[in-house]
Amino acid sequence: MDTMEDGAGESRPPEHGALSPSGSLARRLFQPRVWDEDERTLVLDELFFEGPEWRPFLFRFGVLIILSTTIAGLGLISNSAAVVIGAMLVAPLMTPILAVAGALVHGQVERLAVSAGVLVAGTLAAIGTGWTLSRLVPGTITATELTPELLARTAPSLLDLGVAIAAGLAGGYVLTHPRAGSSLPGVAIAVALVPPLATVGISLELGATASARGALLLFTTNLVAIVLSAMIVMLVSGFVPSDVRILVRGRLRIGFLVAALATAGVAIPLTLHTVDVIRDQGFTREVIAAIREWDPSGRIVELEADVSETSASVNLVVASSRAPVPAWRLAELLASGREVPVDVDVQYRLEQRDEATAD
Amino acid sequence: MRTYLRPAAILIAAALVVGACSSDSADDPGAAPVLRVFSNYRGADAEAFRTVLAQFTRETGIATSYVGTAAFADRIRDRVREGDPPDVALFPQPAILAEMARAGFVAELDGDLAEGVENGYPDWAIELGTVEGGLYGVPYRVSVKSLVWYPPGVFAERGYDVPETWDELTTLADQMVSDGYTPWCMGMEAFGATGWVGTDWIEDIVLRFGGPEVYDPWAAGDVPFTDDPIRTAFEQFGDVLLRPGRVAGGVRAVLAVPVLDAIQAMFSDPPGCLLSRQASFQREALPAGTEIGPSGDVDVFVLPSADRGNAPLLVSGEIAAAFTDSEEARALLTYLSSPDSGVPWAALGGYNSPHAGFDTSAYGSDFELRLGELLETADVVRFDGSDLMPPAVGTGTFWAGMVDFVAGSSLETVLAEIEAGYDQGAS
Repeated sequence: MDTMEDGAGESRPPEHGALSPSGSLARRLFQPRVWDEDERTLVLDELFFEGPEWRPFLFRFGVLIILSTTIAGLGLISNSAAVVIGAMLVAPLMTPILAVAGALVHGQVERLAVSAGVLVAGTLAAIGTGWTLSRLVPGTITATELTPELLARTAPSLLDLGVAIAAGLAGGYVLTHPRAGSSLPGVAIAVALVPPLATVGISLELGATASARGALLLFTTNLVAIVLSAMIVMLVSGFVPSDVRILVRGRLRIGFLVAALATAGVAIPLTLHTVDVIRDQGFTREVIAAIREWDPSGRIVELEADVSETSASVNLVVASSRAPVPAWRLAELLASGREVPVDVDVQYRLEQRDEATAD
Repeated sequence: MRTYLRPAAILIAAALVVGACSSDSADDPGAAPVLRVFSNYRGADAEAFRTVLAQFTRETGIATSYVGTAAFADRIRDRVREGDPPDVALFPQPAILAEMARAGFVAELDGDLAEGVENGYPDWAIELGTVEGGLYGVPYRVSVKSLVWYPPGVFAERGYDVPETWDELTTLADQMVSDGYTPWCMGMEAFGATGWVGTDWIEDIVLRFGGPEVYDPWAAGDVPFTDDPIRTAFEQFGDVLLRPGRVAGGVRAVLAVPVLDAIQAMFSDPPGCLLSRQASFQREALPAGTEIGPSGDVDVFVLPSADRGNAPLLVSGEIAAAFTDSEEARALLTYLSSPDSGVPWAALGGYNSPHAGFDTSAYGSDFELRLGELLETADVVRFDGSDLMPPAVGTGTFWAGMVDFVAGSSLETVLAEIEAGYDQGAS
């Protein structure tokens, strides 16, 4: 393994530069490397666009946000995972998000305001594009029949928070270790920003407000987790000069506190939702067992089981070669020993085989 | 008078096979009895009825378990045939209650309970639970069927008046067509009960043009479907709804649209239809936040009669009866026969009591209050005829015949097909 890591070896004191492969991992992780000003400027230039760069950046950003949301929205509506991933690679939102983190760790209020402004504008533009797209492509989906790709973005769980934190760490790492730059697209795919926003816009246009809320929660989760974990990496990696760190100590603390509180804030609904999912899974297992008892000859084609504090519902498509067993018997079976009433909707499909031969 | 021996024979045979019909609670005297209650209430209706049962349990200490099914007519007969009847059932079809009472499956009511029913309800309601002179059922809820739902906003904007005669209604529909609207919303799809929306129309027309003199014997099976007043009703139904441009989505769509979803088209912009003849329980399936009333999003008028004046009301409802002749089952029927049993549901909406002594201030909305007044002031109130006819016809060939008629079968074929139900029942 090359000891000259990240192209920054020459500026390091010898004890850092001469790391041997063995026993060096912990030190490499915990000991910040030393940055020179050129490097730092290079990275900051990736994040902040000022002076003559500002207008072309804004134009590029605007074009990419509309195009990526359009691609994402079409992919979501046509239920094509590949197209949605393609959209993630075009999406420009990672830049202002990392810029927000960068501005926070440097305690730069003005840069924070500008980056946050770009982020908010981009968010609104993406939602608006999703909404418009749903307007222009009418009739293919309805509020009650969203595609699986859309639905996948309306019910975030704690897993999504985990992904977002890890991806934020990766994003911060890639940014502060420029040689790892080729893995940035992977980060963008892992923690998608534009597809949830497209989902928000499409859901709003269809009047599916609950789905829109879920997708917005996913986006917010990704946003705050990336900001928080990118801030951590930037500080740990020594990207922020120590004199700056000391100088803006107060602001830095506030920034951290806000990012941490926001992450905790999204964790609450995510936890509640995760508990729901686990409860539904337990209920689904019970339902499957009850169906076997109810109609042993039936084969489950589709099953959707939801349970809450006040009610439980089962939507079932069952195929059988025999006459159907009435749905109320399944409802009664499921309701026994349960506090809440159970609603059951069964679609029966008659399965028959026939064979023939002729000369 | 026709007889329909086959179902009765099956039921009696089933009784011989399974022995006396008894519930689990009666078999096991050690366990606390749980009354098993069976009906067709689902969704919001079931939720409301559960609050009624919960109040009963609080007052008496008797626990209940409720099961509601979309296909009550078929399922209750299955359960009796299989020797697994509920303790108490609420029948939407008095004819099925009558069939089971005749076969000896349902307990006859006597004493204070019978007296309370006979003194508390109007005659038309008492008749629903009466079979061959004996009282078997307690009328529990009544729904008004002869309503036409319409958007008052569009009516005001277009200068349409609420029609007061049948001719005014047909003229209004013609006017709507020439204004570029489709007049009627209609859907008939209802799981195993598809067809009842059509039978309601025929019943309303027979009641309006033939009067009780034709309606009553027809519902009792003494006037055949092939007779002129019935044939004319089918023709009028076809004239109002089955011509091109009269029904939202076209006649072909009617059979595939779920009954209570049809009105959705009224709320689109521009409205897909402006008139929907549907029962009071349409209220349960209106879009969230819809206001009912003369200045609301939607309002109702009574389907007009041939002449100006007090139009007859077609109603439906549920009649409670006990399969188990136990103290607990009687307690539930006694409770359901008291006007107070309707109060929790009335407060939630979607309930009108057939009881003469019901306190109308318990109604949670003006809509139910208006329905209550309609029921009180109507000169003629008649129960849904198809629910009174023998099941082989009422929930059999009449339902199926309406589906065929809407699908394009000739009137002669359809009438003969429906009438044949009487022979099936008697074979």
